[in-house]
Amino acid sequence: MDLSLTETQQLLKQSVEDFITRDATRDTLIEVEQTDRGFTDEIWRTASDNGWVGIVIPEEYGGGGAEFTDAAVVFEALGKGPVPGPMFSSGILSGQILLHTATEAQKKDYLPRIASGDIICTFALTEPDYTWGVEGVHLRPTEDGDNYVLNGTKLFVYDAHVADFVITAVRTGDKPDDVSLLMVDTKTAGVSTRKLAGFTTSESEVVFENAKIPKSAVLGSVNGIKAGLDKAITNSTPILCAYKVGGAQAAFELSVEYSRRRVQFGRPIGRFQFVQNHIVQLVNHLDAARWTTYEALWKLDTGRDATVSVHLAKAVTSEGYRSACDYAHEVHAGIGVMREYGLTLYTRGSRSLYHAMGGPRYHRKRLADLIETIAADPE
Amino acid sequence: MDFSPTPDTPEQQAFRKEVAAWMKENVPDIQGDRDSDENYAKYREVGRKLGAKGWLRPTAPKEYGGGGLPLDQAIVITEEMAERDLGLPPYYDSGGWLGGASILVWGTEEQKKRFLPPIFNGSLVTWQLLTAPEAGSDLAGTTTEAVRDGDEYVLNGEKIFIGGSHGCDMMWTIARTGPKNERHKNLSWFMIPSDLPGVTIRPMDMLGDGGEGVGASVKNTIYFENVRVPASALVGGENNGWQVASTHLELEHGGGGNIGRETWFSRAVEMAKKLKKNGRPLLEDAEARTSLVDVFVHSEINRLFGVRNFWMNRTHQPMAYEGPQSSYYRKVHGLDITKALHDAFGPYASMNDEKWDVSGGELDQYMRGSIVALHPGGTADIQKVIMARRIGMGRDVAESAGKTVE
Repeated sequence: MDLSLTETQQLLKQSVEDFITRDATRDTLIEVEQTDRGFTDEIWRTASDNGWVGIVIPEEYGGGGAEFTDAAVVFEALGKGPVPGPMFSSGILSGQILLHTATEAQKKDYLPRIASGDIICTFALTEPDYTWGVEGVHLRPTEDGDNYVLNGTKLFVYDAHVADFVITAVRTGDKPDDVSLLMVDTKTAGVSTRKLAGFTTSESEVVFENAKIPKSAVLGSVNGIKAGLDKAITNSTPILCAYKVGGAQAAFELSVEYSRRRVQFGRPIGRFQFVQNHIVQLVNHLDAARWTTYEALWKLDTGRDATVSVHLAKAVTSEGYRSACDYAHEVHAGIGVMREYGLTLYTRGSRSLYHAMGGPRYHRKRLADLIETIAADPE
Repeated sequence: MDFSPTPDTPEQQAFRKEVAAWMKENVPDIQGDRDSDENYAKYREVGRKLGAKGWLRPTAPKEYGGGGLPLDQAIVITEEMAERDLGLPPYYDSGGWLGGASILVWGTEEQKKRFLPPIFNGSLVTWQLLTAPEAGSDLAGTTTEAVRDGDEYVLNGEKIFIGGSHGCDMMWTIARTGPKNERHKNLSWFMIPSDLPGVTIRPMDMLGDGGEGVGASVKNTIYFENVRVPASALVGGENNGWQVASTHLELEHGGGGNIGRETWFSRAVEMAKKLKKNGRPLLEDAEARTSLVDVFVHSEINRLFGVRNFWMNRTHQPMAYEGPQSSYYRKVHGLDITKALHDAFGPYASMNDEKWDVSGGELDQYMRGSIVALHPGGTADIQKVIMARRIGMGRDVAESAGKTVE
C-alpha cells in the first residue's frame, strides 16, 4: 500500500502549480471568467505544450502515454486554479472516445492533433430532455447518399462553442444500444454552436439544421461502438472527478485561511464552533471525494474492474464539490459572494460540473443496478 | 498510488497459504450468540494460540511478546481473520490495545517487559477506564484520585461506560495525581490488576443487550474505594498523563486506521433477498435498492478514511485531523446507515421478535448500537473540536496529532 504521489506525479503537480502562480492567478481567472470563450490562448498553449492535454493519449498517437492517476494529479492541480478550458473535453474524453471506438486511420488522423492542441474536440451526448447515458440519445440522422443529414439539438455540451470537432452521438437503429458517433466538423454548413447563459462554465448547445455529415465521419462502425464508448467514459470520468477534488481543496484552504483572518466579536471566526462545523463538513466531503476518486484511478491503472468505483467516485465527488462550496459560503458569508474574492469561481464550477459525465442520481442508479455484483465481490 | 493492502508476491501468497491453513486448523467455526460465555471462551482460546505464534499483535516488538513481523505479513493475518469475521484480537481488549500502545511509547523498559508480554500473547484482557460520571467528554476533569502513600498510590473514585460482559484481568486507568486546579498537569496513568481489594464492577442498564466493544451495550461502572496500587503501576511519569493520553486518544480516535471492509452492505443484501414485499424479494424493490446504495456509499467512504489512516500511520506520515475525522464519520454515518436500513427494511429493521425477526436480531442491535456508539472515545462533537484544532481553524498554529508507534 502506498497512497503517496510518485516523483513524476509531484513534478507534474508542481509544473501546474507554477503555471497558476505565474500566469493564472485567481485575479487573472476572475477576468478570464467574463470573456466569451471562458479561457485564453495562453492557457490552451501551455496546457498543450506541457503535455497536459494529451497526457493519457498513447505515445504512438503523439500523447504522453501516462497513467490515469498521473492525469488526475494534473487535473486536480488545474481544478485548484480553477484553470478553465477544454482540456478535459478534448484531451481526455474525446481522446479516450477516439482511442476506444475509432478506426486506426481515424486515430492517426485526430489523436496527434488533439494531443498537440492543434484541434479542440468535445463530446455531445445529451439533448433537451436531459438524460445521461445512451438512452438519452434520440437525434436520428436521415441518409442522403454518402452523407447523413442531421436536424436537431445537442444540449449541455461542454466546450462546444470553442470546438473544431464535436463527437456527436446519434441514434442509428431501434435497439437500445444502436448508437453511433459522428465526428462533426463545426465548420460544416448547418452546424452552429453557442455558449449557454447562466450559472455555467462552458455548457453549450449544438444545433443541426440540414447539416450534411459525410458517412466517413462515423467513428468505428455504425451501431458498433457502445462498449468502446462505455470504456472511454469509465476511463475519463475519474479525471474530471480529480479536477473537482482540486476545486474542493481550494474551497477548503480559502475557508481555513479566512477562519484565521476574519475577526468578529473580538475573536477569529474559526474559534466559533458553528463555523468549525462548516469546515469539518467541508473537509469530510473533500476527503470522501479525493479517496473514492483515487481508488477508482488505481483500479483503472492496474487493470482491475473499475466500474463500481467510478460510479461511486462520481456520485460522491459531484455531491462533495457542491457541498464543499456551500459550506465555504457559510464560512465566508458576504465576502464569499463578491466576484473579486474568487470563491464563486469554484461555486460556479461545482454547479456546472455537477451533472457533467452524469449527475449523482444517475451514478447511484447505476450502483443500484449493480447491487448483486457488488455484494458478491465487494472488492 | 497502490491501494492494495499487500503486494501479491509469491512470498506473500505462500505466507497467506500458511496462515489460512493454520486458521483452518485452529479457529473454530463459532455459531450463535457471539457474546455467550461459551463462545467467549473459544475466542480467548484462539487469542492465546495466536499469541503463542506472535500473530495476535503481529507488528508489536518481539522482545515484548509481539510477533515482530513486517507490516505486509501482519496485513495478511488481519485479512485472514477478517475472512472469518474476526478481529485481532478476536475479543474486546481495548485497554490492551490502547494501553499497550501507550506503554510502548511512554513506559520504562522495565514496565514494557512486565506489562506487554501478557497483553501481546493473549493471556490477559484489559479494559480502559477513562470516562468519569462528572467529567464525561472532559477527560482532563476526571474526578478519580490517586494519592501517593509510600510505595503505593491510593485510588478513590468512579468510572462509567467501561468494558463489556466478560470481566477483565487488568485495568488501564487515568486518575488525578496533582492539585485540582492544575488542569492537564495533574493526571497520571496506571496499569493495575482488576482483582485488587476495593475494586467493584457493576453492569449498567443500557439501550441494548449484548455485544462488546465500541457501540456495545453492556458496559460497567467501576468503583475504586481506597484501592492500593504499587507505585510501579504508574506509566509515563507522575502528572504527565495528558501527554500519555495523546497516544491513547490518537489511536482510539481512529488515527491507527483500518483496512477492513464493513460487512453490513453484503449482509443487508442477503437479508433483502429473503424478505418478501408484495410477494417478491425486497431486493427487487427499487426504493429498497436506493437505500442499499446509501449504505454502500457511506460504508465505502468510511472504509477509505480507515485505509488512508492505516497507510499514514504505518508509514509514519505526519497526521493531523485524519484520526478524529474517521471517528466522526463512523459515528455519524453509523446513524445514516441504520436510517437507510430502516428505510429499506421498514419496521423489520427494529424487530427482535422471535416470530417476525428477519436478521437474527442484527438489524435491531445495529440500530441501537449506532446510537450507543456516538459517545465512546469522545462524542461526535468532541471529534469535530479536535479536527478544528488540528486543521488550525481560527488559529495560526495547528495542533499536531498524538504520537503512536503502531
